[in-house]
Amino acid sequence: MEININEILLFKTNIRTEDDKKHIGKIMEEHKIGQWTVDLHDVDCVLRIVSPVLKHQDVITLVMKNGYTCEVLT
Amino acid sequence: MRARDINKVELVKQKAIELLVEVGFEGFTMNKLAKACRISVATLYIYYKDKDDLILNIGTEEVHRMSAIMLEDFDPESSFAEGLRQQWKNRAKCILENPLTAQMIEQLRSSTYQEKIFETFGEIFKEPLGKFMHNAIERGEIAAMPLETYWSVAFGPLYSLLRFHNEGKSLSGKPFVLTDEVLWSAFDLVLKGFKK
Repeated sequence: MEININEILLFKTNIRTEDDKKHIGKIMEEHKIGQWTVDLHDVDCVLRIVSPVLKHQDVITLVMKNGYTCEVLT
Repeated sequence: MRARDINKVELVKQKAIELLVEVGFEGFTMNKLAKACRISVATLYIYYKDKDDLILNIGTEEVHRMSAIMLEDFDPESSFAEGLRQQWKNRAKCILENPLTAQMIEQLRSSTYQEKIFETFGEIFKEPLGKFMHNAIERGEIAAMPLETYWSVAFGPLYSLLRFHNEGKSLSGKPFVLTDEVLWSAFDLVLKGFKK
């Protein structure tokens, strides 16, 4: 399996519940972000996005504007 | 484009199996796994979408690997005694050489991942084992019986012995080590039981 590390964006968030996820899902859809997942089982609620065009800051701005915390996962 | 770092993926897999067996699915977290591998959590998320994705992927890979061992040198056209002997040999090897994976697969069996992972098992075994049993019945080597009866009689004793061995003790805590002699004399009894 080939993975392009540069296209994977990872964030620590507080997208914690199924409702939060639904909410974020709508926002992702509106912004045509197709490949995204949130790990609700994880303490860091990791948001993972695969995109060749998006930058970390784009996602942070978008998520925070909608009321969630979002920082780059290191 | 960069290929997966094979060594790192193998390390993650190995540690994930150890951790799953040690703490179970509930206690398993990406953080604990990253610590055990001495890598960052972010690295794990490069390879896997989330905890479920990781467990499903590793579980399925291991089931495939075990299945290949179980079917090694097994010919569905062989005589009943010979084919069953090969099955015993392979299954014993599988569990004795991969005790952690065997334990993880047992845990998976009673988990919510069960359905997705064991679909694969069924697909792989249905044809060769079905054919083998069918041949044995056709040739009059064994009587016709439900698959469940066949499986229980054919492998139940083997798995009991392997469990005693892995736990290091048998009934009422008596120390136990599985020897070839014990294994193959149990096999002979099973074979006798099947004989028409």
